[in-house]
Amino acid sequence: MKWEGYRSSTYDELFEPGGQPRPAARRLIEYLKGLSDRDLAERQLAADLAARVMGITFTVYSEGRNVDRTLPFDVIPRVIPRAEWTRTEAGLRQRVRALNLFIGDIYGEQRIIKDRVFPSALLKESANFRPQCVGVTPPLGVWAHICGSDLVRDGDGTLYVLEDNLRIPSGVSYMIQNRMVAKRVFPELFETSSILPVDDYPAQLYDTLAAITPRPGTPPVIALLTPGIYNSAYFEHCYLAQSMGIELVEGGDLFVDSDDCCYMRTVGGPQRVDVVYRRIDDLYLDPECFHPDSLLGVPGLVRAWRAGNVALANAPGAGVADDKVVFTYVPKMIKYYLDEDPILPNVPSYLCTQKRDRDYVLAHLEELVVKPANESGGYGMLIGPRSTKREREKFAKLILENPRNYMAQPTLALSTAPIVTPDGPQARHLDLRPFVLSRGDIYVTTGGLTRVAMNAGSLVVNSSQGGGAKDTWVVDTEDGA
Amino acid sequence: MLSRVAENLYWFSRYLKRTENTARLVGVNSLLQLDLPRSVRFAWQPLLDILGAGDAFRALHPESQDEAAEADVVHFLLLDERNACSMLSSLKQARDALRTIREALPQECWERVNGTFLRLGEEGEHNLGRRYRLDLLNRVVDDCLVVSGILTANVSRDIGFQFMRLGTALEQADMTTRIIDAGASGLIRPRGAEEIEAYQAMQWMSVLRSLAAYQMYRRHVRQRVSAAHALQFLLQNREFPRSVMFCLVRMQAALPLAPPRRAVERALARAQALARDADTRVLAETGVAGLMDEIQIAIAGLHASITETYFRA
Repeated sequence: MKWEGYRSSTYDELFEPGGQPRPAARRLIEYLKGLSDRDLAERQLAADLAARVMGITFTVYSEGRNVDRTLPFDVIPRVIPRAEWTRTEAGLRQRVRALNLFIGDIYGEQRIIKDRVFPSALLKESANFRPQCVGVTPPLGVWAHICGSDLVRDGDGTLYVLEDNLRIPSGVSYMIQNRMVAKRVFPELFETSSILPVDDYPAQLYDTLAAITPRPGTPPVIALLTPGIYNSAYFEHCYLAQSMGIELVEGGDLFVDSDDCCYMRTVGGPQRVDVVYRRIDDLYLDPECFHPDSLLGVPGLVRAWRAGNVALANAPGAGVADDKVVFTYVPKMIKYYLDEDPILPNVPSYLCTQKRDRDYVLAHLEELVVKPANESGGYGMLIGPRSTKREREKFAKLILENPRNYMAQPTLALSTAPIVTPDGPQARHLDLRPFVLSRGDIYVTTGGLTRVAMNAGSLVVNSSQGGGAKDTWVVDTEDGA
Repeated sequence: MLSRVAENLYWFSRYLKRTENTARLVGVNSLLQLDLPRSVRFAWQPLLDILGAGDAFRALHPESQDEAAEADVVHFLLLDERNACSMLSSLKQARDALRTIREALPQECWERVNGTFLRLGEEGEHNLGRRYRLDLLNRVVDDCLVVSGILTANVSRDIGFQFMRLGTALEQADMTTRIIDAGASGLIRPRGAEEIEAYQAMQWMSVLRSLAAYQMYRRHVRQRVSAAHALQFLLQNREFPRSVMFCLVRMQAALPLAPPRRAVERALARAQALARDADTRVLAETGVAGLMDEIQIAIAGLHASITETYFRA
């Protein structure tokens, strides 16, 4: 594989600006150089095939026919030196600890508001604040048991937190499966390099869920609640349920009885459920409590949760802290709750509620990325440098109408890594989603899911919008680099 | 085991069995028709009625009274999605059931069922003519058997497996009575009365073949094919896996132990008694339609009690 023509317009994860491989990637690049283009194409083909055979799919439902699509996978891994990862991991632990304290505080005493660190006005207008959760103390004080934080690297090499997903973050199954594919494709490299393993996630997740059972001492009955086969993450729901050996249930399989306990309907009669790993959004979780017309949820589930008879992961209302406006306060939360300085910086952000920020945003729409506070999946954004005049005018109007619902960030020169293309290796932008499990102690995945924008120049990595994935290697280098 | 998962396993195995039997039935009768001299008419109509699709077919093809055209019938029985019992509809329902319980069964099952379904959708229409029909149907039968092979070889004998066995056995018992019914009701219509006897044996051979039973019949019965013997073999033989009695006895062994299942046992005993006590010699003379109806009703009752006991409790 020839690297002479490889260029990145920004920070590259595998190459230094001078074109030398970074220390942690040296062995990989040497190895890739030894492969002919044909070898590489064959391996890419083998990877695509393996993904299909292993059934790594996400579901696209359209025109009454369901299609399983495979997530595009690029064989060249993204490499992170272990020393950098250790620091990142510490930063994530710190962050998720503060986030859980914040959520608990918001639904409890609201000290952070009383101490004027966090404005109460933001809470009043938050779409993800759930009054139904006020006064609840979930087991271990944990609200966001599973957190997926998106990290991006700017042109100068700084790793920033772009957002935290505290509701129902997905993608972890791709992380594990990507590694399985990579092992099939590059077995030689795994023999000679020390690449840290990622496959203990399901066991860690199981421990996390088991830790919050309301009936300690008896083997917990745990179920993963899925919206069903038409959900785009259904593959992941199946995969996780299978690899943890827990039940995969739909709303209709569960019911809450008059004793405020949650049961599943089995062929042997009702069986009590202790922990529900729910992959259904808050608002559809319990028609008794939220959207009354939801058919996906379980009537009375929140009642059973409030009574302490069933544990929900993540807890309802945890999303209050992944609002993109609340996000801008995380560094202050870390200082406030932990009295520590944030290890990982936030992407700089402008709040449209504050006049000075708002004026700046409106004057610089062309340079900024504007995001709605509560959307996920890359929907409803304005990417300034790529926008048309008409789109900018539309967003200016939206911002003035509802400033609370918008925040803006500078367009980062997201870092790149090479992908295989018919024209040789080419740089593509990427991000990283590590997953963080909280249950008393905190577990962070080794690396995470690297999402890559497969189209040249694109900054959008979401799988629903043409993104693909890479395996992520946290590598021990001999020289400790 | 979740009731929903158990029910889907049960229905998956029923629809898979139905798909296979429908493919076999149409295939064998297509062959039979080729053996008949011009003076003998082959009537497709009874096949439609036996599969419970007669009314739906007549509604769609009002012009064809008794003389249903082969191409129309074959298409309707195999590929028409408006026919809830067509081979494609059965396979689609098997696939839909499997989709929601993918995690409960080996991945290869899904791949095979999905692959067969997609292939039928893509190529089915072009291969319905006599030239390719048998190849098409044989592949469907083979695919169904590969899936049951995967299940037998690779799935733990847990309670979910028992529900699949129940579904398979119940569906086969039901299909066997229907195929007997079809054979006895005279798909072959000779013009002269003197030819009736000659073609009767041919008809029963084709019934046996539809149930993959011809070879086993020859080995075990050691008699030339006659209505009474064929009936006895397909209804009462305890060793041949597609006989009604074999299926009903097998269900007995597959019934999960808990919860109490008295209603299911009563329904099963009723169906077993009907098959066991039948006097096949008399039936061969007087006609089987009445008894087959009774057994089918008993099987429907058995299905209802299984649903009530295990899936709706």
